[in-house]
Amino acid sequence: MTHLELIHIHKSFGSAVAVEDFNLAVAQGEFISFLGPSGCGKTTTLRMIAGFELPTSGKIAINGADLTYTPPNKRNVGMVFQSYALFPNMTVAQNVGYGLKIAGKTKAEIEARVAEMLALIQMEKFAARYPYQLSGGQQQRVALARALAIRPQVLLLDEPLSALDAKIRLELRQEIRRIQRQLGITTIYVTHDQEEALSLSDRIVVMSQGRIEQIGTPTAIYNEPATEFVAQFVGHINLLPVEVITPAEGVVRLGGQVIRAGRFGHLNGRPVRLAVRPEELNPGFVEGLNNLSGRVESVTYLGSIVRIRVEVEGHLLALDMFNERRLKIPAVGDALQVHFPVEACWLL
Amino acid sequence: MNAKRINWWAIFWGALAILYFFLPMYGTLDFSLRMKRGEISLLAYEIVFADPRFWEGFRYSTLMALMTIVISVLVFVPTVYWMHLKVPQARPVVEIITILPFIIPPIVYVFGLIRTFSRPPLQMTLSPITTDLLIVTGYVVISMPYMFRAVDVGMRAIDVRSLTEAAQSLGSNWFQVLAHVIVPNLRIAILSGALICFATVMGELILASFLVRPALGPYMQLLGLTKAYEPAALAIISYALTWFSLGLIQLVSRSGTAQQLTGR
Repeated sequence: MTHLELIHIHKSFGSAVAVEDFNLAVAQGEFISFLGPSGCGKTTTLRMIAGFELPTSGKIAINGADLTYTPPNKRNVGMVFQSYALFPNMTVAQNVGYGLKIAGKTKAEIEARVAEMLALIQMEKFAARYPYQLSGGQQQRVALARALAIRPQVLLLDEPLSALDAKIRLELRQEIRRIQRQLGITTIYVTHDQEEALSLSDRIVVMSQGRIEQIGTPTAIYNEPATEFVAQFVGHINLLPVEVITPAEGVVRLGGQVIRAGRFGHLNGRPVRLAVRPEELNPGFVEGLNNLSGRVESVTYLGSIVRIRVEVEGHLLALDMFNERRLKIPAVGDALQVHFPVEACWLL
Repeated sequence: MNAKRINWWAIFWGALAILYFFLPMYGTLDFSLRMKRGEISLLAYEIVFADPRFWEGFRYSTLMALMTIVISVLVFVPTVYWMHLKVPQARPVVEIITILPFIIPPIVYVFGLIRTFSRPPLQMTLSPITTDLLIVTGYVVISMPYMFRAVDVGMRAIDVRSLTEAAQSLGSNWFQVLAHVIVPNLRIAILSGALICFATVMGELILASFLVRPALGPYMQLLGLTKAYEPAALAIISYALTWFSLGLIQLVSRSGTAQQLTGR
């Protein structure tokens, strides 16, 4: 059943369009990420759900109730901010219990709920500390507990890990997912980090210039990007300009070399690009698969993988190989053949 | 090991500045203690403290200062908060308005007040209470640059927008946001502004003098016309009040509360 619904949401700031015809239905307990570059409208959309911005047109509903013009303090929506936004004048326990105090809960109820929340984030010993006495990761944990303490209908997280260092970010990411699953709370997570979105989400909404580019599971977003933007924004991709030979079968030509694409739409004479992920390419010739010949342009070590750039018909093609000890890495300038399955490539 | 070079010029200018500031103070203090010929005594202070007009002026000025502080806080905290949150583009205009008391001479301001509020429809100088109201509003304007800046600096030190939105998402209305989150985090800033307001009002002469109110400033001026040692004693008392206020600001801003608010 739909828990949160955004219907034809449009938001303009003067003549600048921030969000355009945004439609989304979120099921109870679902974890949705808004993914996109800076200025794509993801935070504005989140702020409209929270009530901090009013949509220019459209409707926002939670559990069927229209909340489009409901003030933020009446929405029962929890929010976690990038800058933590803990109240500096309150201890951890007071921060977590603040929403309950405002809701008029008794002291006993507040104490019990605060203890429960601090146990959830494993910070029982920090109840009497002030925010300045905590690390960034601990502060964000407290901010999460504070947002959850009021038992919100929807939890909103606005780039909550952006201000943290890489190791803490990874730990807290897993923590957020664990807590979200444990409580079964509907969650909207805004990020520009594709790894975060792919690892956390049930579904991802990829946005660009105020518009939804694609909504789908992490697998669908990565393996079947609907647009060139999604293909380029999520993961690495090779995009090669090709010439269509047989439109009905998806057969194209790159210079003098022929390739067959696994997925393609109507190829009505428009310029076409072949898309293939670097990890789908393998060195060597295999009969029955797509094969391309080229010359090694560069070899780059990226830790667990080695990225080889091959020049094919005047275009650069990236190929990722696992950095195994037995790996034979070609030298720059070597002639190299690469192969990839038909299903691994598609036409955009 | 690098031996630090002594900057003799810095010491020279520092010493000169200290002399410039403290020498007149020392002279005044010394003079105030020499009322009894040939001996050091506190007689001038005893006379001042025994004068009922001093206490009347002190009580009146303290009351006016407290009223000024309360009204200033009630006016400037929400105004500066709103400016930070909703109309940050209005800052240049607001800043110009707040420095007007530095630009317009107090005497011009007082004449303006008297001309405007001594005639119908707002004839406020007819009774002591309405005149006191007028004088407090005048003090609010005079102390506006100090209170505005103190609150503004305090607001800049905290993430007003995020704190407001966090409080709202937890169910707070505007009043609760201000009362529970914003004002407690502006304690030091408000106290600093209040103490400067207090010092300003306690020494203010022109408004009280032209509106004929029994404040400390006119009393000091009157005493200066007729006596020799008592005005010196009063000047030292006035200095002491100002330094006490400044000391309090320092004490508060260095306390644990400041660390709690700023995280430093």
